[in-house]
Amino acid sequence: MSSPLTLPLQRETSRPRRALILAGGALIAATYFYLVLAQPADLAGGGGSAASLICLFGFLGGGALLVGGILPTLTTSSLVVMPLGIALNIAIGQTAGSLGLQIYLDAIGTVLVAVLAGPAAGAATGALSNAIWGLFNPLALPFAAGAALIGLLAGTAAKYGAFRRIYLAPFAGLAVGAVGGLVAAPIAATMFGAAGTVGTNAIVAAFRAMGDSLLVAATKQGLTSDTLDKLVVFTLVALLVYALPGRARNQFPFVRRYRVLAGRAPTPVPGTSGE
Amino acid sequence: MIALECISLAYDDNATALVDVTLAVHAGEQVQVVGPSGSGKTTLARLLAGRTGGDAGTAFRGALTLEGTRLEFGTGTDPRIDPAAWSSRVGYVAQGAWGQLSMMSSTVAEEIAFGPANRGMPAGQLRTTVRDIAAKLQLTDLLERDPRTLSGGQLQRTVIAAAIASEPQVLVLDEPFQGLDESATADVAAVLELLRAHGTGLVVCEPLLPRRLPVDARVLALFEGSAVFEGPPGDARGAGLRRYGVGLEGAPPRLSSAGRGPTPAARTASPTPAGAAGAASVTPARAAGVAGLTPARGRPAGDPPDRAPGLPESRPKGDALLVELECVSFTYPAQPDEAPAGIRSVDFSLERGEVVALLGSNGSGKSTVLQHLNGLLRPVSGVVRIDGRELGRRPTGKLAATVGYLFQNTDQQLFERTVLREVAYGPRAAGKKRGAAIGQAGDALAGVGLSGYASLHPYELSFVRRRLVALASMIATQPLLWVLDEPTAGLDDEGRNLIGELIRAHAATGGGVVLATHDVAFAEAVSDRTVTLAAGRVLPAAGSPASEAPPSQ
Amino acid sequence: MPRRRIFNPLTELLAAALLVVLVLVINRWQFSLAVLVAVILPAVLLSGRPRRIGLTLTVVAAPLLLSSLVLHGLFFPEGTTVLAQWGFARMTVEGLEFAALMGLRMAVFAGALLTATMTASIPELVSTMTHRGWNRKLVFVIGSAVGLLPHVAARAHHILRAQQARGLVVGGGLRRFKALLMVSTPLVTGLLVDASERTHMLEARGFSSTVRRTSYLPDTDSAAQRAARWAMTGVVVVFSFLWLATGAAK
Repeated sequence: MSSPLTLPLQRETSRPRRALILAGGALIAATYFYLVLAQPADLAGGGGSAASLICLFGFLGGGALLVGGILPTLTTSSLVVMPLGIALNIAIGQTAGSLGLQIYLDAIGTVLVAVLAGPAAGAATGALSNAIWGLFNPLALPFAAGAALIGLLAGTAAKYGAFRRIYLAPFAGLAVGAVGGLVAAPIAATMFGAAGTVGTNAIVAAFRAMGDSLLVAATKQGLTSDTLDKLVVFTLVALLVYALPGRARNQFPFVRRYRVLAGRAPTPVPGTSGE
Repeated sequence: MIALECISLAYDDNATALVDVTLAVHAGEQVQVVGPSGSGKTTLARLLAGRTGGDAGTAFRGALTLEGTRLEFGTGTDPRIDPAAWSSRVGYVAQGAWGQLSMMSSTVAEEIAFGPANRGMPAGQLRTTVRDIAAKLQLTDLLERDPRTLSGGQLQRTVIAAAIASEPQVLVLDEPFQGLDESATADVAAVLELLRAHGTGLVVCEPLLPRRLPVDARVLALFEGSAVFEGPPGDARGAGLRRYGVGLEGAPPRLSSAGRGPTPAARTASPTPAGAAGAASVTPARAAGVAGLTPARGRPAGDPPDRAPGLPESRPKGDALLVELECVSFTYPAQPDEAPAGIRSVDFSLERGEVVALLGSNGSGKSTVLQHLNGLLRPVSGVVRIDGRELGRRPTGKLAATVGYLFQNTDQQLFERTVLREVAYGPRAAGKKRGAAIGQAGDALAGVGLSGYASLHPYELSFVRRRLVALASMIATQPLLWVLDEPTAGLDDEGRNLIGELIRAHAATGGGVVLATHDVAFAEAVSDRTVTLAAGRVLPAAGSPASEAPPSQ
Repeated sequence: MPRRRIFNPLTELLAAALLVVLVLVINRWQFSLAVLVAVILPAVLLSGRPRRIGLTLTVVAAPLLLSSLVLHGLFFPEGTTVLAQWGFARMTVEGLEFAALMGLRMAVFAGALLTATMTASIPELVSTMTHRGWNRKLVFVIGSAVGLLPHVAARAHHILRAQQARGLVVGGGLRRFKALLMVSTPLVTGLLVDASERTHMLEARGFSSTVRRTSYLPDTDSAAQRAARWAMTGVVVVFSFLWLATGAAK
């Protein structure tokens, strides 16, 4: 049956541009390992010119490749919640920042999108979120790759049931936060000498006073505050999604397909994509 | 042009939304779909808009015929409608404007151009298209405005403009007048009439039967998913549709409390029987109480019981006025290219047991006055006293036990997982123990007739019931003063009657009610007096009925 | 005072980004300071909105600069030239130098990019992306996110008021957490309901179409600017390679 009013029955799903995604992931990983393993000797000595350049281009470029690979695969319904997640990230992140909280809370939107629309949408939301936040606060820009990783991990955790019980979410947050902290530390150290808010600085200063190198101190600080932050964020998002009405969450094929949330019988969704 | 034969349409959760409805719309024709909340209007509108698919969580059996192409559903493999192709023939304007803005347009012009731009229309043609549509919908002056700063009526016209950019032959609108004041409603109605004159077929869904309808329009009344009436407007008005919960727009609400003694009010937890609302008939005195006909002061004579002006035994405290505003002025931060808004030197008072309605067009300052009653806004000059105490710097949250406030947009406050928890929040915040709070919440829910819905998610209820949940959560805190902003906006007949009942019952026990509304018939019927505002000032309430009528627009 | 608009926002953003790259490449505090004083300061002053940019810049960068100074000025174990010592804290020359370098770098980073973004018109940027044929999904996400921001903020504000009218008193600790939930739940629910409607709206308005999207706003970009962008990038890339290869960097 072909008519100008109908579409072919077979949904054509755009294939992810795997090459782009792989290249992006590889670039980010390579940058990270370069920064950590090679530990540019001059990092704390003179600011590491090459290191900061590699950091900036590796993470930003990797993030851009990831977004470029992911975007074409996303369905309109995933696409439409991404700006919402980004706006939430920025609005809540700015508020938390201006209140001088010890935690950032700037990943609530990313984790929310990841839980509702899947890891790919979560990763893209994280990366774009920091890119757009960069328009108002450029210092957020270099952390784009870390934010993408948070989205990716949150979505994967959701896919495998970390949000099926509210009490599981904080643990997932803890784990994701630890990874996030590990990734963010070299960026903070190389780009900005690990300077942050008063709260995070006190932690870095304490480790520095004990004789740690800048990178190690920043990593230890990342492990402390990022885990705490993501623990709170994951808990908040879990409470939030369970407070959502059924129709609002079931509009997302990802939620239905992988039974991300407890309490609803899984409904088979034929031919969905864009997780 | 488009024909729908719906054998049945059911949602995922097995709730059947439509049964045996057929509808055909031709060029230049207007079909008015009326029905109470939950009767299937939105479902019908979405079907016409081509949203039949399983991704909408619905199972549709029947057929849609458009331009001679007949698509059958529910018999084997369903065809997949191409939304872009369908919408260039059948335009759809859904309820609530925000979801229909792309949010990526900084001007009205870009928003109108969004659809054609997606289809790759060249820039030059894009400009002429936008210009033509804007001229048609009287949007030319607004083309450079940011859509997020528009008033309700302007926004609605923008959304309509964006929907007709692809020149559909049929336009389906779901409650396009919701929340609009009289002049904005007239603007939008004029635009629709114009489109119809140009040959566009219209399907307009509304909860109430409009007062003014073109004589050649057709009315389709829905009740619980089935068509209960189809015919010309004249017949519809005489068809007794009220038994299906379809009221006539602008008719006074039916209040059943006449004849009953001072009701044990909602706040003493054994409230008005909600079921009684539908049964009563219109008292002649109230039927006369349409705009302008009522004597200026007080409500129609002849039903003293529920006016209960004295009520000495239920007056909690001396003679203190419940509300006193003395020469209150407030100015909003000035917006560029707009006159400074606010209120100037407003004097206002409310006694116990009194119901006062604030009337006036959008921007006249009604909401501003209301927001001074619980400290959401603090006066720049002047004094606000609630129950004899000056408001001063007391935080709004601490006033919630004394002043209950119902916002026009109910959905801005519901946050709990169940209706009962939602309603129990107020008493809990006021410091009640869990058990007591649940008890008060249960009573309040019974008062609005929602006892059976206590364990559902608030958002799973219909719009009208969500409004009632918000009202119940206000009642549960047992405030002395009720402040209601547009309590009847978007409600169906039954909901409107019920709110009228509850207001009278609250007043009968010595509580006070201040409400702001565009619904003049409702205001006349439930209030003891009306106060009209214009441009931030109270119009002198002389004895003449004319001065009480809202300014003509 | 009107906003200064000389070039297309894409050109201005790229120029700011390349300036940042140069500062990173050269990596001398003298150069950073020179850029700050000779380029960014005049740009802010001539931007037409120096107060707003100055204020934002202060809010964004000042806490970082200050904390950087305290952090490295007092805690720099690698430092050898000790100026003063209080308990664990040691003020060293190397630490202060590092703090100055990092501080200047952050100031240039924030200053260059903020001046560019705060003078650029975002709608113009979005429209330029469309005219240049960028992926429409990307353009939508960026444009819509920026457009949603004020809407989300305004909506959150309304909701906060509605909850206060119901008895919410914003307090500290766990009550703040509760307040955050009370505001974000209706906020997110409302936004998701809108989003669901917007999904259908986008489909109906032909968003899935595969032809190249057009833009209502005129194209303010020009061939000359496009050429200039490539040229600028090329120069900076070549310069960077030469600078780093010849070991001019420390």
